[in-house]
Amino acid sequence: METLTIKETISDVLESILEHNNFEMHDELTAKDVDGWDSLSHMIIITKIEEAFNIKFKLRDLNKLKNMGSLVSVIQNKI
Amino acid sequence: MFILVFNSINFVAFVLPILLLYWFFFKKSKAAQNVLLLASSIFFYAWADWRFLFLLIASIVINYYLALKIRKEVNDEPKQRRFLYIGLIFNVGLLLYFKYFNFFYESFVELVNVFGVTSSYTTLSILLPLGISFFTFQTLGYLIDVYNEEIDPSDNFLEFSLFVAYFPKILSGPIERASKMMPQIQEKREFRYTLFVDGLRQILWGLFAKIVIAENCASIANPIFDNYENQPESILLLGAFFYAIQLYADFSGYSNMAIGISKLFGIQLMRNFATPFFSTNISDFWRKWHISLTTWMMDYVFTPLSFSLRRYHKSGLIFAIIMTFILVGFWHGANWTFIFYGLLHGIYFIPLVYSGKINSSEIVAKGNFFPSFVELVKMLLLFLLIMLTDIFFRADNIEEATYYIALIFSNEILTIPNEIFNSNYLLAIFLIFIFFFIEWSNREKKHDFEISNFNIFIRWGLYIFLFLLILFFGKSSETFIYFQF
Repeated sequence: METLTIKETISDVLESILEHNNFEMHDELTAKDVDGWDSLSHMIIITKIEEAFNIKFKLRDLNKLKNMGSLVSVIQNKI
Repeated sequence: MFILVFNSINFVAFVLPILLLYWFFFKKSKAAQNVLLLASSIFFYAWADWRFLFLLIASIVINYYLALKIRKEVNDEPKQRRFLYIGLIFNVGLLLYFKYFNFFYESFVELVNVFGVTSSYTTLSILLPLGISFFTFQTLGYLIDVYNEEIDPSDNFLEFSLFVAYFPKILSGPIERASKMMPQIQEKREFRYTLFVDGLRQILWGLFAKIVIAENCASIANPIFDNYENQPESILLLGAFFYAIQLYADFSGYSNMAIGISKLFGIQLMRNFATPFFSTNISDFWRKWHISLTTWMMDYVFTPLSFSLRRYHKSGLIFAIIMTFILVGFWHGANWTFIFYGLLHGIYFIPLVYSGKINSSEIVAKGNFFPSFVELVKMLLLFLLIMLTDIFFRADNIEEATYYIALIFSNEILTIPNEIFNSNYLLAIFLIFIFFFIEWSNREKKHDFEISNFNIFIRWGLYIFLFLLILFFGKSSETFIYFQF
């Protein structure tokens, strides 16, 4: 899958959970930059992303997520 | 035990020569600085109780080698995991044995008795090694971070030992993270005047919180709690009020002193309290209360737990929150009261999970001096809830706490007790007002007494004012509530 499509899907997931789209998708985007994306909403977001791409993360994958770029590359490796 | 408590002349006599040596004779290299700090830390710990020094050293050595082993086997995940598990079992085992053995043993015997088997028991007399809850959490976090490849393991035994044993934080935290603290130890520290002065300021504030606020509150709360059955019921609410303030001022005061002392040596520890009572919901409160513990629990308990329960959505989330808070409570001590305290706090999160408000964390009335009416009401209601829950934290057992609360809600709840007009009550309330007023004015700053931007007259006016309050209303005290954890 192309990174652009992956990003679009992630963007849709974020929008559906956080109920806003006040963020710009780029590789350096981190959870801190996005209103409402904190450790509590994180799990819900992760689950939705798993469902959207039909993949399963490992806890260790999660710890390696530093920004949007790394999230996209982890997803790419799984599909 | 002879703990060199921060607010004692002995501690000043201990720390002053070290400071002079540190900045005048040991400033040539980071190794010299670290040797001095480690030697001082070992002296500090051994002075309190030399028997546990061996335990501390064993913990340092074992965790140091395990981390290196985990890294060495980077291409062999099962092996890595084995070393991690050895580390987890060792560290958690230490805690379980020294802190919880008797609790589990007693609870087990009581459970057996319920099923009709009567057995008597004798508990072991196990002394709680000082600071064990704090330094084992620090080494646990370190191993997990190394395993997750978040940090590189230290290959310098001196630096790692200092990371674990550093005296400003060994007894009661903050529970430091290697990612924040190690880089500071790995570099030579240069004297920075502004940081040094900021440290002094924070020590003054912590001292004020501890010996003026916490001790004056304690002198009122203690007699009420110790003899609550024979008190007029109307006074019990006041007892709970003064205890809630005492608990906060005691531990935040300790933390500010620890952080301030560390700044004198050029090492910045993490913030432990960020004006928690100025919160409008429980999630916000826990983001600001004992931050080094709650972020630890967040990263190493809540995240893995909620991750493994993610299929269950909100109910999984709630379960993870409640389990995390039960552990937060239990961390404080081997008593059902702490478990119940944690359970209650976990339950308070449930409405937030459903309303989706769990993420909102803002400084109250940011940019304004006064909060809105709604914010004020929310803060007061939250304080009331925390205050009542703190009764479990204070009580010896759950029956005592529930009885205390039942008495509060008797028909005298609306009676204003006469004691409130006693001079020591009025004085304490006045001092608490000053305390929270200064906190409120600084709630957007890096710490509660970060007043470097004030002009020189106001700054020195405040220093002298606090100094006088300490001189006239300070009460000496040889211990802190959190030393027992």
